[in-house]
Amino acid sequence: MKVIVSRSGGMAGIRLTWEVRVEEQPDPSTWAEFLNSLPWDDVTDSEATPDRFAYRIRCAPHEVVLAEPQVSGPWRDLVNRVRAANGM
Amino acid sequence: MDTPERHTLCTIVPPYLLVRLAKLDDPRFARAAAAARASLLRDSQIRQLRGGVHPFAYSGARTRPARTPGESDRTISDADGQERLPGRPVRAEGHPASGDPAVNEAYDSLGATQMLYWTQFGRDSIDGNGLPLEATVHYGKQYDNAFWDGERMVFGDGDGQIFNRFTISPSVIGHELTHGVTQFTANLQYQGQSGALNESISDVFGALVEQHAQKQSTAEASWLIGEGLFTDRVEGVALRSMKAPGTAFNDDVLGKDPQPGDMAGYIETDDDNGGVHLNSGIPNRAFYLVADTLGGNAWETPGHIWYDTLTGTALNRQSDFAAFARATADTAARLYGIGGAAHNAVLQAWATVGVVAAIPAPLPPAQPAPPKPRPAPTAPLPPE
Repeated sequence: MKVIVSRSGGMAGIRLTWEVRVEEQPDPSTWAEFLNSLPWDDVTDSEATPDRFAYRIRCAPHEVVLAEPQVSGPWRDLVNRVRAANGM
Repeated sequence: MDTPERHTLCTIVPPYLLVRLAKLDDPRFARAAAAARASLLRDSQIRQLRGGVHPFAYSGARTRPARTPGESDRTISDADGQERLPGRPVRAEGHPASGDPAVNEAYDSLGATQMLYWTQFGRDSIDGNGLPLEATVHYGKQYDNAFWDGERMVFGDGDGQIFNRFTISPSVIGHELTHGVTQFTANLQYQGQSGALNESISDVFGALVEQHAQKQSTAEASWLIGEGLFTDRVEGVALRSMKAPGTAFNDDVLGKDPQPGDMAGYIETDDDNGGVHLNSGIPNRAFYLVADTLGGNAWETPGHIWYDTLTGTALNRQSDFAAFARATADTAARLYGIGGAAHNAVLQAWATVGVVAAIPAPLPPAQPAPPKPRPAPTAPLPPE
């Protein structure tokens, strides 16, 4: 299982991508449980605002695009975990 | 000869003037300087009383004491590393410099932006009606961004690895405030080509803020957006180059600057709201080409053409590159004459970047239309 977080936009307009292979993590079952608990089907569209980040999050079969203000709660936790696993 | 000490310093004296007077080191003006310092102190105390727990909090421009049109009305707040707005007010208009570079950079560049819009285009603040300029610095932890949230500018400190603090570049601050101007005028939808135009307009006026403040002609200017924003670890000079899109950086981590400079390189993508920060390179270069062809200062004829187009009636929320090209050409013809140097420069620029299919033959010069009457703004004193 793989989770990919791609952040685009921002004032800089530079896309950065972070990826985690769950089976390579020290706690894969915790990762899998967390990923399955995310509200993948509850994401709604949101109007873009200038220079805010946009996050595309993929974890097959799921894919969502979140505006920066939507990255809160469990989504914020996910982004932070994925970035931390990539040393950011 | 009149000296400041002969005048009564009443509350109608604008804060920027009080600050100038308060700093006078000439013994001939000692009384005036002391009076100005007392007035500033009193004003600060009044603001504290008005604002309750927020010493600089205002209830809005319309309820403030009379201000001189064109005068800056800045408040800088500090989010202290939190993601909560507005944060703690730390410097209000006319107050002395802080020990915090981010606060002073935000304050100075807000003033430079107000100065460009007022002295060159007769526009009083973002809304054209003296809206106070609000900014928050130190937003979030290692936050790699700056944005306009519809009411205020917000600046992160950067992560220190790729990005420095976002207040470091005047063009970034001019860029963000111009999103506010666009919001109050053409309000271009932030998606696809209209979004790329929204971005490009912010880059154009962000560059003009920097050039105007530094008195740089088109030939002298760098035409870079966000110069100094990258740390020394990054192989790059800025976020974007308006003169040569696609050349601002080429780095192991960030990759190569992906901006196209013409329609042949137009990027179709779902990311970044349809590539608004990528395809903005095309209209950015068109503006540079107009400025390069005409020479002189870019905030003059080229800036007036873009400003009049942005604030006129030719654009709508969904305007694309072709519509913007037509609108700028029409504006150039109206302001400077059909077939004149400005009109031909605009037509040629859009053809060069491929927005207009064929390069048209220069139109024959015609009798220039009388220039549009403009307000003659009174230039405020430079920001402190």
